[in-house]
Amino acid sequence: MSIAAINEQLLRAIGAGVAILDPDDLSFRFYNQTFADWFEATEPGAAFAAVFPDLDRAAVVAALDGSGRFVAESSFRRKRRTLVIALTFTRTDAEVVLLECQNITRMRELETMIESYSSMVERNTRELQREKERVEKLLLNIMPRSVYEEYKTFGTVTPQSYEPVSVLTLDFVDFDATASEVGPAVMVSEMNDIYAAFDRIGEQFGCERIKTVGDSYVAISGLPEPMEDHAASVANAALRFVRYLQRRNDSHPHSWKCRVGLASGSVIGSVVGIQKYVYDVFGPAVNLASRLRDHAGPMEIVASGLAIETSDRDLLIHDVGEVEVPGFGRRLLQRVEGAPAITR
Amino acid sequence: MAGSLYEKYGGFASISRVVMSFYDRLLDSDEVGPYFDDVDMKRLIDHQTKFVASLLGGPADFSDDRLQQAHRHLNIGGADFDAMKQILGETLSEFGFEDADRDAVLGEIEARRSKIVSS
Repeated sequence: MSIAAINEQLLRAIGAGVAILDPDDLSFRFYNQTFADWFEATEPGAAFAAVFPDLDRAAVVAALDGSGRFVAESSFRRKRRTLVIALTFTRTDAEVVLLECQNITRMRELETMIESYSSMVERNTRELQREKERVEKLLLNIMPRSVYEEYKTFGTVTPQSYEPVSVLTLDFVDFDATASEVGPAVMVSEMNDIYAAFDRIGEQFGCERIKTVGDSYVAISGLPEPMEDHAASVANAALRFVRYLQRRNDSHPHSWKCRVGLASGSVIGSVVGIQKYVYDVFGPAVNLASRLRDHAGPMEIVASGLAIETSDRDLLIHDVGEVEVPGFGRRLLQRVEGAPAITR
Repeated sequence: MAGSLYEKYGGFASISRVVMSFYDRLLDSDEVGPYFDDVDMKRLIDHQTKFVASLLGGPADFSDDRLQQAHRHLNIGGADFDAMKQILGETLSEFGFEDADRDAVLGEIEARRSKIVSS
């Protein structure tokens, strides 16, 4: 067998499609069996347009005259499968055009699959991110950001002492009676409305709500970041709470009257619990504020030993005499009122 | 996804081969293949990648509504559904799925029979 015959046999046997084209008119001089199977060819001598009706013959000729190479893809259905064949036309030194055809169907199928998988994973990642943000938002509702950062990094929170801070505690006069009168659904909606307003007001004055338990609302100023005028902050917030309720009572069917206690001192803040954890504060300032609240009348704010600059012109502070406060001995009580400008 | 069959059998790296093989077998099947005569390759692979992932508890949320929508116009009969199920079972076995796991997957697909079969 001659070398030429062996070469021809090899060309016929390989898995790639091979064809040799006339450089002048791109007609087919030779093609192997694989090529014939793919393109259902045609007699030798077939015209270019008969085999590749979708390819622009002029563009192929221009590319071959220029760089000597033209690359394209051809895809067609074959027994319900989309075959994708990569075509490479090359003008060789022997003055023929060689056409190599590779079956890249599986590559395209795998690319499609990877695309599909990536879109699923990206979607999942976006959902996880959204979920993470929701969880973070929830956790930030129950603990200060710096405490949350510590919890996220170390998985625990070290109890920390904060001093000086000021504590505001508030409850409602005749809460139980009003609650049973309006029913639980209305009561929850009322508390939700009022506490949301308190949160907004507190935020304006640098107070952070720590917790609510039923009708008891506790907020602190000076935690977790120290605050110079923490006492004025809780006093100002308390005044606006009262003013807000007064205005609300004027226009709502249900009337709520609050009592507020304010105290300065130290507290310890920590996450309590393992599975059902809450951020809570403990300490003498919390206890004192809550005792003082018991000495307040409806819509009154009672404090003791609040270090408030007298230059705060929104606030009027009257001494109302000494009383015995359980656990704290005799204390001089003060009533906090708003200057005329803010009580109106 | 922890503990899912998708993870157990090697995640995307392995499951992609299952999907490819399932795709080949469906197209080559004389019984089921004709349904795919006019189906676009990209759509079919995208569908199967997500569907197999969701059957195995992988990263896909493939709602039953979507499944129904994809098959509604094909008028698939019960016997063809059974043939498809058998092909999937054979594919899973070939890729080393334990019998119990294979049956669990086939159970998942059986549960969706009414969404795929039209008549």
